[in-house]
Amino acid sequence: MVILLATDEAKNIIRPEGEIRLETIDLDMFYDDFQAVKQISIAIPSRRITALIGPSGCGKSSFLRCLNRMNDVIEGTRVQGKVLLDGEDIYSPDTDVVQLRRRVGMVFQTPNPFPMSIYDNIAYGPRLHGVRDRTQLDEIVEKSLRSAAIWDEVKDKLHQSATDLSGGQQQRLCIARVLAVEPEIVLMDEPCSALDPTATFRIEELMTELMENYTIIIVTHNMYQASRVSQYTGFFLMGELIEYDHTVRIFENPQDQRTDDYVRGRFG
Amino acid sequence: MKLLNPQQTEKLAFAVLWLAAALAVLPILAIIAVMVYRGGSGLSGSLLFRVEAGLLPAIVGTLLLVGLTALFAAPLGIAAAIYLREYARNGPLVRLIRLAVVNLAGVPSVVYGLFGLALFVTLLHFGRSLLAGACTLSLLVLPLIISTSEEALRQVPRGLREASLALGATKWQTVRRVVLPNALPGIITGLILSISRAAGETAPILFTAAFFSLTHPFPKSVFDPILVLPYQLFVMATEVPNVPSATKWATALVLVLVVLGLNLLAIILRTRLRGLQRW
Repeated sequence: MVILLATDEAKNIIRPEGEIRLETIDLDMFYDDFQAVKQISIAIPSRRITALIGPSGCGKSSFLRCLNRMNDVIEGTRVQGKVLLDGEDIYSPDTDVVQLRRRVGMVFQTPNPFPMSIYDNIAYGPRLHGVRDRTQLDEIVEKSLRSAAIWDEVKDKLHQSATDLSGGQQQRLCIARVLAVEPEIVLMDEPCSALDPTATFRIEELMTELMENYTIIIVTHNMYQASRVSQYTGFFLMGELIEYDHTVRIFENPQDQRTDDYVRGRFG
Repeated sequence: MKLLNPQQTEKLAFAVLWLAAALAVLPILAIIAVMVYRGGSGLSGSLLFRVEAGLLPAIVGTLLLVGLTALFAAPLGIAAAIYLREYARNGPLVRLIRLAVVNLAGVPSVVYGLFGLALFVTLLHFGRSLLAGACTLSLLVLPLIISTSEEALRQVPRGLREASLALGATKWQTVRRVVLPNALPGIITGLILSISRAAGETAPILFTAAFFSLTHPFPKSVFDPILVLPYQLFVMATEVPNVPSATKWATALVLVLVVLGLNLLAIILRTRLRGLQRW
């Protein structure tokens, strides 16, 4: 069942069915005077993959980084509106940002393993949060690497440098590192843009597996990727959310002319 | 009509650039060659290790001075760099601090010497001493350490910081576990290079730490004055008659060797630490 938002029917933004624990209400984000994200209201379905697509500079990555407050790190950024996680605004003054980022993990565009061993990379998060026991760490490391479908490739070299892995392996390692802190939501910012097609395929497979236990939001330049992996897709243009619907609808029967032009490759 | 074709221009450019590089190396080689030639014969075990009229007290004094300087300046400089690079937002205060750091690096060393005399020797009653000298030299190297450390911190990729923060690390945890270990080779190199520069300075210690004595060669506490190589050389060359010229040159050679040794240490440490990091 698809329910249109009563307030703004013309914008073709649906509210997905099923459980929703993360949503934004009228979210604006500024870099100094430049507004990168404009009045975004979107509800993210739990345990589904939501893709955010749009041309470069459309604000989709900036929007994604609002969801775990990674934009706080960049000087001159400012946010208005609300991001509700289980009904609580993550931008309210009493939010524990450290706790928030444990719940909302992030995988970045370029694989960024720490220059440490594979083991230490995975154990980094749990150690931060106080896990010291060696057997417990061993378990977390194995479980996370298995979940990220990289265990078999690295189990014999856990104490070798993570930076010696291939790009695709590094990215799966980074996903495992995120899983090790047991987040509820995983944000992926163009996770395959630095990878070859084979490595990309492995990551896409992995995302589908992870969907059982995690809510995933992926920003991607690659429309085919969005159509392959996601159930819901949002189309961004110039900082606005133009259309948000079931992925099939966005790609086969978009309501907005601009969405239609974009997914048919007429621009972007 | 063109005078030269591209291949000839290429050759000419290469020749000019090679010559420039060679000219940069030449004076260093010449200095070392002259010192070895003139002082090599004066450089004997007895000169090096003799306490009376030998160089041992000055070598020990120099190392003590430099060590104590590092002990004061390194934590302060590195901490300041971390603050400026990782914590400070770009406001008027930070701009003022940066401006001060840049300008301090340009202050002539004799000014540091006079300032050290006024503050540490006189006002704080340290007297002419190892302590006053180390404090003065710390002021001299602090801007250098701050700017080289800041540069080393800047080199740490943003992706690593973001990865750490996104895993729920606090800023300090990120600095301590990711940023600092990755910046360490650069920080240590900058540190040793700054310190080795301090080892050769004469002006800042002239009024604050150095003295020339045959009867009290070694300091008993940090409040005693010390013999140091640059000052030893200065005194030998200008005030003491009848010092054999080979001895003067040998002293100069030892001073240069100490500084070069420190630089070499910096290079070795940097390579070792880089190697460790990558496994």
